[in-house]
Amino acid sequence: MLTRPSLGFGLGLRVDHYEAILAERPRVDWFEVLTENYLVPGGKPLNYLTRFRERYPLVMHGVSMSIGSTAPLDLEYLRQVKSLAARIEPAWISDHLCWTGVAGRNLHDLLPLPYTEEALAHVVARVGQVQELLGRRILLENVSSYVAYSASQLTEWEFLREVVVRADCLLLLDVNNIYVSSVNHGFDARTYLQHLPAERVQQIHLAGHEDHGSYLIDTHDHPVPDPVWQLYEAALRHCGPVATMIERDDNIPPLEELVGELDQARQLSARVLNAPPATMPLAAQRAGMPAGAAAP
Amino acid sequence: MNELAELQGAFQDYLISGGGAIHRRVLGTAQVPAEIRLGIYAGAYASRLAEALGANFPAMLRLMGEEDFNALARAYVAAHASTFFSIRHYGDRLAAFLASDPAYGEAPVLAELARWEWCVGLTFDAADATPLTHEVLAQVHPQQWAQLRLRWHPSVQRLDLHWNAPQIWQAVTEESEVPPVAFSQQAQPWLLWRQGLTTYFRSLPGTEAAVLDAGRQGGSFGELCTLLCAEVGDAAAPLQAATLLRSWVAAGLITDAD
Ligand SMILES: [Fe+2]
Repeated sequence: MLTRPSLGFGLGLRVDHYEAILAERPRVDWFEVLTENYLVPGGKPLNYLTRFRERYPLVMHGVSMSIGSTAPLDLEYLRQVKSLAARIEPAWISDHLCWTGVAGRNLHDLLPLPYTEEALAHVVARVGQVQELLGRRILLENVSSYVAYSASQLTEWEFLREVVVRADCLLLLDVNNIYVSSVNHGFDARTYLQHLPAERVQQIHLAGHEDHGSYLIDTHDHPVPDPVWQLYEAALRHCGPVATMIERDDNIPPLEELVGELDQARQLSARVLNAPPATMPLAAQRAGMPAGAAAP
Repeated sequence: MNELAELQGAFQDYLISGGGAIHRRVLGTAQVPAEIRLGIYAGAYASRLAEALGANFPAMLRLMGEEDFNALARAYVAAHASTFFSIRHYGDRLAAFLASDPAYGEAPVLAELARWEWCVGLTFDAADATPLTHEVLAQVHPQQWAQLRLRWHPSVQRLDLHWNAPQIWQAVTEESEVPPVAFSQQAQPWLLWRQGLTTYFRSLPGTEAAVLDAGRQGGSFGELCTLLCAEVGDAAAPLQAATLLRSWVAAGLITDAD
């Protein structure tokens, strides 16, 4: 087994929820923190992070590694990521299979790569360098995309699979991103899923998107919609139990609402994998109540 | 790596300056043409950076209102690409941009407000350091005092402002009544710092500002006293030096004296 055992069901840590998390100790098994938000010298961000770490397992999720860029790796960035990791001991570190800029610029977007042998070899070499530098395997996440390049020779799933297998890294499977891209590019989301190396899927992202009629935009500002739940079910059947979390970056609802949505993931996972959800209160299980309804 | 580098260069050029070389590398469909697909990225690029500016300058956004701030943000985005791995640092040149752009020449308070708000942000997540206590300072041998150099908390920042930007910033932040814009010929010295997790700021009398600046530039306590003598006279200087130092220590501005 390449992956670590599932951490259970988590949420993205957002400033809006800081106080509620500390006060309510919600039934969330772990939190994902946005790496760049904590690459600061000190003050409140790191102070809060330390307090969350005392209460929950954390994983680090970055957006600026730019693993697919033809610009040199930003070694100062990686040094800071490593030092933050030494401080909070995350269960793992992830970023995206994309590029974010060249020539010293950061476009702050997760831009797709052409699915070519050239890009593949380039990314595989860079993942090797990063893993060597950080001293651990990293997770790469599939991104949503809106363009396809004429240069592409492989499908997205072939490219993704080849990257993680050849580079010997792990996969952060964003189920919503698969769905969004499948609509935008007209491929079959289940075919995509079926071709992924299940033994390398360490984490799953669930999120919502925005429907523009002929295409979808990955906005993380809506609840997880039905087609994404259905695809999550297929992902669980393909991968088995995987640490799952809900990403919400805009229109952020109260914490209870996200915890409730996370319970939906727990229940779906329990049903699909035919095992009781790990942290559902015992009384609630006996009464056959959903965990969301049992909380005071 | 030529193909990949060329593609990335063309895509970036499209996003930053509207260059057209990327178009022939992108496939469209009957339903969604390439133009629209690329446009999604172009729209997201500008609005993400503009939104980040709003997050980094919340009081400016509130004071100017969505529409005017957005116009400023779009102009800044068009002039400055990000060079930071964290979007939190985007906007470091907004004050300079406002000061140099003729469109904002009629509201010079905005440039100072941007400078002020940027400094508030830097103080917020500056490095932590343990402040020096009165007890530790009391153990310094009298003969060592003149040579003593003060170490300042990493969050300490000094600004000299002609406009009442801090008062405006505070009113906007606290959602109280915003004072009318006011200018003073003589720049007002300001001090910003953090004690624990709380950010503080206050205006400084000219004498204190001069002595504090000298101390931050590495002047020994003896040199600070000499400076004070010139400002307030030999008789008042020793007491005033002691008073200043005590207030700096009490505020957590000093982390060490050696
Ligand atoms: Fe994601």
